[in-house]
Amino acid sequence: MIKARHLILAHFWSAFIVFFGAILFGEWQMLVRSPLHAWVNIPEHYYRSVTGHGTALAYVFPTLIAMGFGYAIVELALKQALIGLRWAWGAFGLVVAGALLAVATVASGAASVLYTFYPPLIGSPFYYIGVVLVVVGSWIWVALMAVNLRAWRKANVGQPIPLAMYAAVAGAYLWAWTAVGAALEILLQILPVALGFRDTIDAGLARVLFSWTLHAIVYFWLMPTYIAFYVIVPRAIGGRLYSDVMARLSFVLFLVFSMPIGVHHLFMDPEVGSGFKYVHSVFTGMVAIPTLLTVFTICASVEIAARLRGGHGLLGWLRALPWKNPVMLALAFSFTMLGFGGAGGLINMSYQLDSTIHNTQWITGHFHLIFAGAIVIMYFVIAYDLWPHLTGRALGNSALIRLQLWLWFIGTLIMTLPWHVAGLLGMPRRMAYFDYSNPAIAPQAWTVTAAVVGGSLMVASGALFLWVLLRAQRGPRVELPPYRFSVPIHAVVSVPKALNGFAVWVTLMIALTVANYGVPIFHLLSQKTNVPAVFSY
Amino acid sequence: MSADKSHKIGFIATLVVVGVGAFAFTMGFYVLPSAGPSDTIWQRMCRGAGFVLTLPGGPRQVAPPTFTSVVVPHDVFGIGTAEQIGHGATLALRCTVCHGAHGLSGADAPNLAGQYPEVIYKQLLDYQRGARTDPVMNAMAASLTNDNVLDLTHYYASLQREKTDLPLADAPALVRVGDPIRNIAPCASCHGTADRKKGAPSLSGEPKAYLNAQLSAFASGSRKNDANADMRSVARGLSDADRSAVANYYAGISQ
Repeated sequence: MIKARHLILAHFWSAFIVFFGAILFGEWQMLVRSPLHAWVNIPEHYYRSVTGHGTALAYVFPTLIAMGFGYAIVELALKQALIGLRWAWGAFGLVVAGALLAVATVASGAASVLYTFYPPLIGSPFYYIGVVLVVVGSWIWVALMAVNLRAWRKANVGQPIPLAMYAAVAGAYLWAWTAVGAALEILLQILPVALGFRDTIDAGLARVLFSWTLHAIVYFWLMPTYIAFYVIVPRAIGGRLYSDVMARLSFVLFLVFSMPIGVHHLFMDPEVGSGFKYVHSVFTGMVAIPTLLTVFTICASVEIAARLRGGHGLLGWLRALPWKNPVMLALAFSFTMLGFGGAGGLINMSYQLDSTIHNTQWITGHFHLIFAGAIVIMYFVIAYDLWPHLTGRALGNSALIRLQLWLWFIGTLIMTLPWHVAGLLGMPRRMAYFDYSNPAIAPQAWTVTAAVVGGSLMVASGALFLWVLLRAQRGPRVELPPYRFSVPIHAVVSVPKALNGFAVWVTLMIALTVANYGVPIFHLLSQKTNVPAVFSY
Repeated sequence: MSADKSHKIGFIATLVVVGVGAFAFTMGFYVLPSAGPSDTIWQRMCRGAGFVLTLPGGPRQVAPPTFTSVVVPHDVFGIGTAEQIGHGATLALRCTVCHGAHGLSGADAPNLAGQYPEVIYKQLLDYQRGARTDPVMNAMAASLTNDNVLDLTHYYASLQREKTDLPLADAPALVRVGDPIRNIAPCASCHGTADRKKGAPSLSGEPKAYLNAQLSAFASGSRKNDANADMRSVARGLSDADRSAVANYYAGISQ
């Protein structure tokens, strides 16, 4: 059994409890802004809830999953005990303490600033300090991943790093650099104002710094999902990974391309030059490449599994796939949602098309489809896959798990696809209520009702998920064979040096960030366009 | 795989990134920002980067802004010292004709007792700098030093407010929930009861005539010292009946 199981279980349980609490708030938000409910009498409560929902699900939940999964990979892929177990517990404590501090501050009404901060809006310093603690905790995890890899490399000179570990460390490095933008914004801009040392803030600069984090953070959320695609799915469905090198290439390309693209969130921002908007748009196109590589490699791996099970024909092999296997089901759901979400993403990255859906409900639909849909459904798979090895007990019946995944998939589609329609009709996001009795927006009312229905299916699915995990903790004890990750078709004897380290890719990542962000940041710094802070409490 | 080949992957990747970058930067900073063949490379690059270029005929003449220029320093938000409040009480003797002996007006001027300090501070400076106009107040504020302004601010903030709690449940819809289709935010979101935004004044117990006059002034644009034109945007959408309903509620007059 996994030695660091208590640590990993602590991460997963905290993550999923935070997750379930936050989706309850999400469902409440959709209900009160739908025609099914009277207008919320105090709109402030709505924004408080939105801030809590976003903070918990964007900063706390995926970070805990990435950390827990990362520690599991260290032990399972490197086959060595986790170095720095105490530090890992310390980091976990920081994340939990930070999360509690931030959420309590939001609950008290002192920081309804939304998780994207939005200066010149300023909330209580405790909120930002809470977020900083979460990030500091996660940076300790980044360091531990690097330390553990280094120790392994010392003991295994010249050996190819196991794919799972290579990918997990790529994710860790991506996060370390991604978080710098928001960290600079909080530490140098927001906190001095929130603590009363300064009275004005450069909102334009803050937006640019946040965009540095805002897009790449999505790829940090995506990393555990992609790792699961490559190292869990092929093994779980009885196949082989099509290409180990292609997998490595995908992960390092995320490292390079997910950073210098955040300005596509600022297409409508007058303080950023159009040239940089164009450059970021081009690089946003480039980030589709590792996703396409992944879709290709995983589809090929799935085909291998089908043919090993006797599937044949051009597409006839699809029937031979183990559709009753929850992992297979989740993969199909995840790819479907990734497809819809990716198509929407192409619209978001195109300047002219983006202008029609900017700041509308379309955007909310897009990122829920990608994050809640394609990403989180694979977090479920990671938990299901590791659970017996963490608890030493059987997981229970797979029909219940399949039901849980179906509910999540259908719920996500019913919730997010109508939101896209609402956005095209011009419904702005971040509104506590709408007057659907007005004929001008009456045709949009059904989209919000649909979201409530879809959301309720997701809440049911979330509850079922927790129940399956909880029941498994008390299930019958099982003797399991040692855990293993997917094996590629061709045994990995050696890999290209560049794909067995990170030097080239981290250098490119930093260089591109400097090239694409350097001038906008220094331009805004030299402009001194500070505005008075607006205190929200 | 041999070392040569591995060297190649890093090299090719770097080449691709540099190639894509070169294409993107050429398009974004040379081809697309072109305003005609007479453009120099420098002009195109500056335009692409969002730098402000000097137009032909020299820099554009811009009229000086008439809106508020006040930044409320953080220390104004706190409670004043006894000395400040004492000085303020003396200075306030000249305000009593309109604003009342204890900051409660009998003359439809605003009640200042218990008003938030940052509000009094900002309005006095706006009067002093001309961003808000009133023949009496402009003259009164003209001679105040910054310390005088702070003393008055803390004096009035220290007094007991006339009314504190207006039940939100009894409030007109505009106060509680606004009117989203007319883009009118709820008054209570900034002015208290539901939520308060620093800088927004407390309105409870203010004279109806004063509230009505200010809403009209915001709507017509004759008052424009609201930061970001927040109040002008809201007031423009209000009908006479709306203004009256809102003013009645805050003045404590039952409907």
